[in-house]
Amino acid sequence: MKTVDIIERIEGEAKLVCSWENSRISDARIEFLNFRGFEYILKDKPALDTLIYTPRICGICGQAHLKATVEALENIYTNINEPLEVTNKAKLLREIGLNIEIIDSHIKWFYMFIMPDIAKLSSDIKYEKYKAIKGSQWLNASKITSEIIKSLAIIGGQWPHTSYMVPGGVMSDPTLLDLTSMQNYLDQAVIFFENSLTGVDIIDYLSFDNIDSLEKLDYALKDFKNISFENELEKIGKSYDSHIVLASSSLFESAKIKTKNKHKIDINKVKEENINSFKVNSTKKDNEYTWSKTALYNNEFYETGPLSRALVSNRSFIKSIHKEYKDSVFTRVFARMDEFAHLLIKTKDLISKIDISQESYIKPKYSYSEIEHASSISTVEAARGSLYHKIIMEKGIIKSYDVITPTVWNLGPGINAKLGVAQKAIIGVDSLEKAQIILRSFDVCSVCTTH
Amino acid sequence: MTRHKPKIVWLQAITCNGNTHSLLSSNSSRFELFLNSFDLFYHPSLTTDTSLDDAINLENIDFLLIEGAITSSSDYFTISDNNILDLLIKLANKASYIISVGSCASFGGIHAKFDEDKSIKGVPDYLNNLELNNLKQKIINLTGCPVHPEWILQTLFTLKNNKIILLDDKQRPKEIYYGLAHHGCTRNEYFEWKVEAKSFGVKEGCLFYEQGCRGPMTHSNCNRVLWNDVNTKTRAGMPCIGCTEFDFPRENMLETKKNIGIPTQVPLGINKRAYLTITGVAKTFKIDRLNNKLINKEEYENS
Repeated sequence: MKTVDIIERIEGEAKLVCSWENSRISDARIEFLNFRGFEYILKDKPALDTLIYTPRICGICGQAHLKATVEALENIYTNINEPLEVTNKAKLLREIGLNIEIIDSHIKWFYMFIMPDIAKLSSDIKYEKYKAIKGSQWLNASKITSEIIKSLAIIGGQWPHTSYMVPGGVMSDPTLLDLTSMQNYLDQAVIFFENSLTGVDIIDYLSFDNIDSLEKLDYALKDFKNISFENELEKIGKSYDSHIVLASSSLFESAKIKTKNKHKIDINKVKEENINSFKVNSTKKDNEYTWSKTALYNNEFYETGPLSRALVSNRSFIKSIHKEYKDSVFTRVFARMDEFAHLLIKTKDLISKIDISQESYIKPKYSYSEIEHASSISTVEAARGSLYHKIIMEKGIIKSYDVITPTVWNLGPGINAKLGVAQKAIIGVDSLEKAQIILRSFDVCSVCTTH
Repeated sequence: MTRHKPKIVWLQAITCNGNTHSLLSSNSSRFELFLNSFDLFYHPSLTTDTSLDDAINLENIDFLLIEGAITSSSDYFTISDNNILDLLIKLANKASYIISVGSCASFGGIHAKFDEDKSIKGVPDYLNNLELNNLKQKIINLTGCPVHPEWILQTLFTLKNNKIILLDDKQRPKEIYYGLAHHGCTRNEYFEWKVEAKSFGVKEGCLFYEQGCRGPMTHSNCNRVLWNDVNTKTRAGMPCIGCTEFDFPRENMLETKKNIGIPTQVPLGINKRAYLTITGVAKTFKIDRLNNKLINKEEYENS
């Protein structure tokens, strides 16, 4: 038997094609059938215009693309031995902006993209508050996300789609009062975390280091936990349990973990394959079924995202949950909401570290048009995991722009008899409902996957 | 009070979903009022109880909102296995109002730059010549990359009450797009006295002379109806990139094209000679207040 289902509410859509044997999924294909050709669009564009283009790859994680672009552009200077001077203030304002976007994305994802589906697993009417659009929790989440994102608009001018980061720094120059307002918006998120999501003081929460602390949770995370355990979401969705974090930040460490051993990243071992992917301007072959490519590290599949970041960065609460429930749906979803708390407090700390007397921007000594030929790579930790940009440039004009998004790592097709990460996680479950929840647990972003 | 709630169907075509996230970032009490006043029947990112087929099977759609560019080709993009244009026409025939949400839906925008599919265009490019019998007003373009959420809300509420909205020659609501992004910019005084921003990252100076700001040539009210209730790009220090106009995205958006030191494009509708005369006069004066930093480094260091 074969089933074909269109999955929506994943920032676009995907098709889940499952083969069934003895009432279990024996094979699964995740098909991304839409392609917008950003890498083609970027070709032959002037270097700085990429700052306008790449955030528009994705309406929810545009700042991650912006930061990746600006860092790839800056790395061009490093690669010709003329590294740019960027002030600590500018670096902080970039990381803060990205963090705010990730925080916003995590809340939206939990309340709009997965919790309505998880709540549907239970027939208890008390969970109707998680219903899309009509439920009080959905509305509450939409309220808080629109408040939080104001703090990014203070330094970016607007969200979505600001390009306030530029090689040499940032374009804005906030006052101390602006920074205070940013703190205020994030304080509202703290209140939301305590009074709607967990019922736990956020500082107490951050000291949790043992799985038993799950019992201390209240409100939405308690509801999530209870429905998860009633439906055994802690037993499904397991994949390779190999994790990769390409970029580092104030909160995240960069490394990969395979069978418990942690290793440093060698960026040259990142490869993109397209064996089972459609190709532009060529007839579709039988084995090709998706526009998503396949991302590999040293020819192996790795999961990326908040769970991977928590494990690589050795965060004890998630490690203890992972020890018990491995890379299951429960752990993966929980790690994302756990990251919300860590990012929130870290970002407030970063804002307090800004020295406003520093320059926001230092003009580069050379323009890109003066550079004959150069290439560079950048990596950024985005909401959904590691993002990779690679630029080849001649005299200030883009010759090639390659983007590997987090969702390609997680949702790209398997190759050479090896399954992709999400494919492996889905195979073996006994219901389509569960398969869809597993797929959602990766925080699918269809527009990013195929870009 | 029982109210009639007009039905909204939101279609996502070739898009980044930025307009959806712009709407979700609207003022939260306005957004709540919107949800209470309209029936958001189908939105692929938000609704869970209805499917695209349910939307197709509706007899009437009060407001059909389209996010993203349209193509007649199925080579690179389909929506739930439907050719985008076929689906659009199916839904358009049921609609009382059709609203292109964002510059991609209005003009093709950034996605029309994908040369491998030459048929990527805006909604009006495909629908303007069709006879759509239910349509009460010609297609309305809410341009912007993304659209400002308040433009969606104001347009919907106005049409709900007033049935008709005044449009400009690009089919945009005139009362939103009659002014320029420049109007209300906090850097206006620098523009008046021709004081340019010395670089990115400063509060002082106008971004029109070096950084490519399109504020004086771009129709929008960004600087009157603030973004996310708090700010705008030009106020923060990022030049306007003209994202509400049909020629977005342009080339070299972060620098001002000049000829012998003079911007090749002067503010909209201003004759070049008039502009140069005023510039010449303004530049003969050196006004200290406008050339000094608003807050000196030393003030921070001594505080």
